[in-house]
Amino acid sequence: MIITRAPLRISFVGGGTDLKEFYSRYPGRVISTTVDKFVYIAVNQAHLLNRFIIKYTETEIAKHPSEFKHPLFREALTKMGINKGLEIASFADLPAKTGLGSSSSFSVALFKALFAYVGKPVGKHEAAEAASELEINILKEPIGKQDQYAAAFGGFNIFQFNGDGTVTVEPIFLDFRVRSALENHLLFYFTGITRSAESVLSDQRSKIEDHFETYKKMSDSVPVFKTKIMSGDFKGMAEMLHEGWLRKKTLSDKISSPVIDTLYEAGIKAGAWGGKILGAGGGGCLMFLVDPKHRQEVMAVLENEAMRAGLDEFRRIPLKFTQSGADILFNSSV
Amino acid sequence: MYSHIEKSIDKVAASLKNLSGEEIGKAINLIHSVYERDGRIYIFGNGGSLAIATHWVSDFNKTVFSHNLTKHSKRFQAIRLPTTEEELSAWANDVGFDMVFAGPLQNYLHDSDCVIAISSSGNSPNIIKAVELAKSRCVPVLGLSGFDGGKLHELADVSILVKTEPGDYPVVESVHNTVLHLLTDYFQHYFDHAIENDQKDI
Repeated sequence: MIITRAPLRISFVGGGTDLKEFYSRYPGRVISTTVDKFVYIAVNQAHLLNRFIIKYTETEIAKHPSEFKHPLFREALTKMGINKGLEIASFADLPAKTGLGSSSSFSVALFKALFAYVGKPVGKHEAAEAASELEINILKEPIGKQDQYAAAFGGFNIFQFNGDGTVTVEPIFLDFRVRSALENHLLFYFTGITRSAESVLSDQRSKIEDHFETYKKMSDSVPVFKTKIMSGDFKGMAEMLHEGWLRKKTLSDKISSPVIDTLYEAGIKAGAWGGKILGAGGGGCLMFLVDPKHRQEVMAVLENEAMRAGLDEFRRIPLKFTQSGADILFNSSV
Repeated sequence: MYSHIEKSIDKVAASLKNLSGEEIGKAINLIHSVYERDGRIYIFGNGGSLAIATHWVSDFNKTVFSHNLTKHSKRFQAIRLPTTEEELSAWANDVGFDMVFAGPLQNYLHDSDCVIAISSSGNSPNIIKAVELAKSRCVPVLGLSGFDGGKLHELADVSILVKTEPGDYPVVESVHNTVLHLLTDYFQHYFDHAIENDQKDI
């Protein structure tokens, strides 16, 4: 039995510049952190059963992985050439499609487990690249590489996506006092609306050429954001998040939705300094940076607004930042 | 006599000043990651470096939490290798001196762990053997070396190199000790702060 996990992430600025159409012409940059919500994968040898079993929100049993409906499981197992019986289960702290990069965390945790299973454990870069290859090249998801890298590396990082396809990882050495103060300024909600990122990202991707200068600004804002986070300038960070969110909305009219806009504006009006939506398509999670003095008011207004909009699943998600990336937690085969 | 004293102090001070803040930052992140995944930290070295390893383990496992000993359900698990002199002499006598660290490490090592290897030359064969074992399992290695860093500087995922003339053991070992104290001090402040912060009602 092998158990792995990979964290989910919140990205601050630069999302979208990790798409190849952009970074092949200008360095893409994203600044993000991982949080204490995880995707877990458990792999168990099942040679005697001579069957492949996968357990997620459904259970599938097949003679060969190529018969699976679940695309990530199917292609990952096929790519690894695993042809002897195997049982895999996945667990997640949050539902899929919340805008926290969970499908890439899933892929990274899965590869981390499968490589260990075949006796060839991999490091952070290899795990991130294997997951990127699977999602972007094999499954043709219209996504970038930021989520795979965030999940594999863990912690606060700037990822730079270079024209030659390589990724440079710059860890951000944030003082723990700033780190916990940032946690205290963060207000995070799951909207209850889940949308597949695919349609929005496809739309966004096809329009990169039209918005090239905007993407450039997004990428260039990453080092500026770093200086604000390092100095604990949470108000400055919030203003940049706000600008970034307004900028992002111009990239595709599918990025936001009236209900999301209403909630966001209500949060700002109630005293939040700024924030953004995590999630590509009019759903996902809402993040605000709020002066702790106004936290209770903002929470009350948001919860009220969500109730009025009929969002039954709207709920606050307490988050702590984490340092570790994708990890093998248990491996009984060594 | 004073000139000798001054020269010695200057050498250590200059070596401390030359340390890479970035690599120490990475070392902190590496140890923090191991804590989060509840892994273990194995530390070892030869001679004076083994004494440094033992000293650090005794500090780190307790001092970090000493202000809040009852408030942390999870603590660090730092272990000096070999854990007993008997084990050390058994491996050295029966198998060979190059196995005194790799041998015991193989007994313990899990994928969630990390390794701290201390070698002033960075080339001690028994240290390199253990580091290679960890690397083969993708277990991260923090290397503390001196002189020109040797093989350990090349192999370690995070490398704290105290650059000196070859053979300047006193300077290298003094600075290694300071770096390890810095790590202990950092985490003591970190966990004290975490407890204070948890008590705030936000």
